[in-house]
Amino acid sequence: MDLETIPQPARERIDKISKADLLVGVLADHGGDAPAIVRQAVEGFTETLRTVVIQGDNVPAASNGADSGVVDSGTAQDERVFVVPWTLLGPDASVSPVQSMASAYQSILAAGDKLGVQACCVVASDLQTVTSQWISRLVEPILQGGFDLVTPCYAHGKFEGLLNDSCISPLNRALYGTRLQNPLGPDLSMSRKVFQRMLGPEQERIKPAASQTHTLASLAATAICSGFKICEAYLGPRTYPATDWTNLSTLIVQVLGPVFLDIERKAACWQRVRPSVSPPAFGERVALAEDKGAVEVRRILELFQLGARDLLEVWSLILPPTSLLELRKLSRLPQEQFRMPDDLWVHIVYNFALGHRLRTISRDHLLRSMTPLYLGWVASHALEMENAPARVVEERLERLCHAFEANKSYLVSRWRWPDRFNP
Amino acid sequence: MWDQARQALTASMNKLLSEAAGLLPGVVALIVALLISALIAWILAAALRRSLAGIRFDERVNRWGFPSVAEWSPGNRPTLLVARFVFWLIIFFGFLVGVASFDATLTSQLVHSMLAYVPNVLGALVVLLAGNVIARFLARSVLIGGVNMNLQYARLLAMGVKWLVIVLAVTMALEHLKIGGGIVNLAFGILFGGIVLALALAVGLGSKELVSRSLEREVKKTSGNGLEEPFRHL
Repeated sequence: MDLETIPQPARERIDKISKADLLVGVLADHGGDAPAIVRQAVEGFTETLRTVVIQGDNVPAASNGADSGVVDSGTAQDERVFVVPWTLLGPDASVSPVQSMASAYQSILAAGDKLGVQACCVVASDLQTVTSQWISRLVEPILQGGFDLVTPCYAHGKFEGLLNDSCISPLNRALYGTRLQNPLGPDLSMSRKVFQRMLGPEQERIKPAASQTHTLASLAATAICSGFKICEAYLGPRTYPATDWTNLSTLIVQVLGPVFLDIERKAACWQRVRPSVSPPAFGERVALAEDKGAVEVRRILELFQLGARDLLEVWSLILPPTSLLELRKLSRLPQEQFRMPDDLWVHIVYNFALGHRLRTISRDHLLRSMTPLYLGWVASHALEMENAPARVVEERLERLCHAFEANKSYLVSRWRWPDRFNP
Repeated sequence: MWDQARQALTASMNKLLSEAAGLLPGVVALIVALLISALIAWILAAALRRSLAGIRFDERVNRWGFPSVAEWSPGNRPTLLVARFVFWLIIFFGFLVGVASFDATLTSQLVHSMLAYVPNVLGALVVLLAGNVIARFLARSVLIGGVNMNLQYARLLAMGVKWLVIVLAVTMALEHLKIGGGIVNLAFGILFGGIVLALALAVGLGSKELVSRSLEREVKKTSGNGLEEPFRHL
């Protein structure tokens, strides 16, 4: 990451601050007073930390302080908290939110490297739910526990984070052997070792755009494959902007594309990994939020059925005949009987990852054509878990993760011998 | 009188026989050229068949997005199509070599005019190939995009796009080959103009309400996503 990408005023402030122990990058530039939250968090540490907070230009005046960006509230502790006003998420409408976020991560890592910090923390969720405890839980394992990467555990509703629950987390767990609830964060913290690794020469060789999108997707996997110490932090509920429904396929392309790309790059690592283990977790575990009431799945089910009718010829280039047959049968089932078997979903995800690697069809087409299948899984999950309590939902997701792990040999075999007959 | 008739007959016989004898080396050369070219063609076709089978050419053609090539191929195998094409091409060259032994000027003229036409054929082939690839790519984009937008007529739209691009490519290829000339252009213009006019009339008159209802539905889908409210994907 080139420091030239950091805006001139922010760079000048970083140069002025020169050195720090902790960097907290806040992506949301409204809804809360990030410097105050960070100040409260670092007050809890026994040692005095020089902390830099990067937040958008809309930082409350009281926190922003003087020209130097130093928080000036009189106490010795506060003099150690510096604010750099810098809007990390660009207003450029042509850049997608995911790309913009990945680029912001890169900027934070570059700033952290320049400041020589011990830990870098990124807060991407809405500041309304972010507390000083969040920051402490994310940072403490690194500063005091010797960990290198802290990923979040949220207490979300049973129908939230579905792309993560259905695909990203189980894939990460099955392939890399570490049970992370949210391998992609987005709220996380990392040690100097990790972000230097992420900024290292290996990443620089990748094209800038690809590298930026790659950062977020490869963070946890890189840390695991490099043997860094990883843990989780229970953060409780979070709020974040709703997904734009009309752009779900774009979202899938932007999120799963880099994940699949990273799987391809780390094939040598994950093919060696055996059964998964749970990483240490900090904080109090909060169960999934209890959502009650019926959910309307008619429209997403229609979309799945339309996909099964019209996209079979595209899917047939990626999926084996048995999966196609099962999908065809599934599409004819009435709503009340509609359940997508775990093995079918796992085979779909694995074969799409393989198709992405083999470039069977254009990668954009491949990922977009996965949208109806993913919505099929969402519909099935929603119908099955409609009235289930949070505990049952957790158990159900755990079973799905087991299916991903149980079928890993299938992926390894297909990955090594893709031309072998696959019924 | 009889002697004169006999002499004339003998002279014509001699002339015919000498001309036939003059042609004989050419015929033998043609047969030999055909036999040798057939042998070379057979060896090359067999080698090509084996090497294409080795690289799983049939599957690759399918994977590259040309499943229809298999439909046109003998035994649904593009490998056989390529091998046979090479076989007959070599036979054709052998035939040209053989014909040259009769009259070199005729063959050179034939070859010259054929060679002059080769760039047109190659250009037309490139246009057809590019048109096919673009048509398939666009059709797939439209199909996937349409399905993801929950459009029931996504396949129809994709097919329309595909055939429009293919027709355009074929027209360009024919123009390259100098076949049809103005007629092809005129026919294409009429066809394209007709389609656009028909669509405009259909939208403007016949299907006005249908289109407005469809657009309203789309607007409702995109703005009021209340149905999907419980689902968060990230």
